[in-house]
Amino acid sequence: MKYLMMIYDNATTRETFLGPDGAELMAEMEALMAELTASGEVIGQGALADPSNTKTIKLVDGAPAVTDGPLAEAKEHFGGWLLLECETPERAQEIALRFPSARFTPIELRPLMNGDGAEM
Amino acid sequence: VSRGAAQPDAARVEDLLRALAPRVLGALVRRHGQFDACEDAVQEALLAAALQWPRDGVPGDPQAWLLTVAGRRLVDGWRAESARRAREESVAAAAPADAGIAPGADAAVVAPVVEEDDTLTLLLLCCHPALSPPSQLALTLRAVGGLTTAEIAAAFLVPEATMAQRISRAKASIKKAGATFTPPPEAERAERLRVVLHVLYLMFNEGYVASGGAALARAELTGEAIRLTRLLRAQLPGDGEVQGLLALMLLTDARRAARVDARGELVPLAEQDRAAWDAGEIAEGVALVQDALRRAPLGPYQVQAAIAAVHAEAARAEDTDWPQIVALYRVLERVGGTNPMWKLNEAVAVGMARGPAAGLSLLEGLDGALAESHRVDAVRAHLLELAGDAAGAHDAYRAAARRTTSLPEQRYLERRAAALPQG
Repeated sequence: MKYLMMIYDNATTRETFLGPDGAELMAEMEALMAELTASGEVIGQGALADPSNTKTIKLVDGAPAVTDGPLAEAKEHFGGWLLLECETPERAQEIALRFPSARFTPIELRPLMNGDGAEM
Repeated sequence: VSRGAAQPDAARVEDLLRALAPRVLGALVRRHGQFDACEDAVQEALLAAALQWPRDGVPGDPQAWLLTVAGRRLVDGWRAESARRAREESVAAAAPADAGIAPGADAAVVAPVVEEDDTLTLLLLCCHPALSPPSQLALTLRAVGGLTTAEIAAAFLVPEATMAQRISRAKASIKKAGATFTPPPEAERAERLRVVLHVLYLMFNEGYVASGGAALARAELTGEAIRLTRLLRAQLPGDGEVQGLLALMLLTDARRAARVDARGELVPLAEQDRAAWDAGEIAEGVALVQDALRRAPLGPYQVQAAIAAVHAEAARAEDTDWPQIVALYRVLERVGGTNPMWKLNEAVAVGMARGPAAGLSLLEGLDGALAESHRVDAVRAHLLELAGDAAGAHDAYRAAARRTTSLPEQRYLERRAAALPQG
């Protein structure tokens, strides 16, 4: 079963993890990532740049309109993702709960759609 | 290697290797213990044979060849492990003296093969209740089916490294559970066999539901499930449930070509082109289930096969003997207990036999038991549509479409919703 684990950040998350007091959190996250890579359960990952780097692209009356960033500053924003392959849904939840950022900001677990279809 | 052997094609070699895999593994584990290490060693021997045999010909005694090569790999593994030096002494002494990669023509003399089929014991071990279903499936395919990790990974659409880790975790769990390569105690045997049948059924279904680009890799799973169930039946010829499961698989697999259309869209049972059903599989499945029903104690797989046989025997959808199917679902509950998925299918049958209102009333109470599933809403939608309640059917199809994680099911359900007259 494949899940996209969506990791949300807030304005201070990266400071918390990368600042002087974040060493323990970072070590914990690196250890967990090493464990999940070795177990084969993490099959893809990515960290997103700060939301200020975002471009929003729209077609307005057929003409492209590109603007900087999302207009409203959200309290929490999408910060990064893991693609998980887990034996059970419970295991995916267990992994999400162990992710250090879960102590500060929420994590969303979304199952991926698959190509299998039962007889109707 | 036998000299006169014709160049065998790779497919024939693969069939032979898969047939031999459980026998070789069984013989090796019986000799040395350590299921974990033996399983790795046999896998390496199978890979070596898959490379060499199509090129050099099949050895005179292929089973002995595999056993000898696997035995050497096992010993090599032990040698490499310095912590096991003490054990290494005695095993190395017992191992064949010549240490080349492939044994010579005298392999049969060097490594006499004990003619005993351990397929059942292996299946029981690989389907150990300590393992999750995905682990049971993967380990069974490798240790009993003789598939490579790469093939299993392709069938489950996961990276090979992920599958390799899953298999090694499964073997570690078996070890931790203290399971040994011996038949389970008599008191546990029936329950353990039930798990094996369930794993084979899941394996079949994983392949059967495949569609689109992944279908080819995953379809191998249905063939493998049928092959392993045939092997199991050869071991337990008197078991009506093993035979019932085989019949159920054949009767279901018979519909494979008709269950998706040319564009890969799902075709419901009622709309399938029955001329595309596989008559050979239907005939074998019907004969198997009739024979089982005649002579063996009744069990849930036999009853499900009997239901599949009723569908198979209807020349057109409208000829389906729905009252008989309803009666069989009552029997299924009596012999198999209450199962919400069966109840759901019974609601469909009742809806067809006695009208949609009767089917809908059977759905009451299933929402709780199948809260995570979109299927209750899908069946409700179907019955509401039959009842002429377009608005209700529309909402139920949409609810089911939102809930499913299957793309083809979602497309089907959205299509049904969109086809209803808008109120």
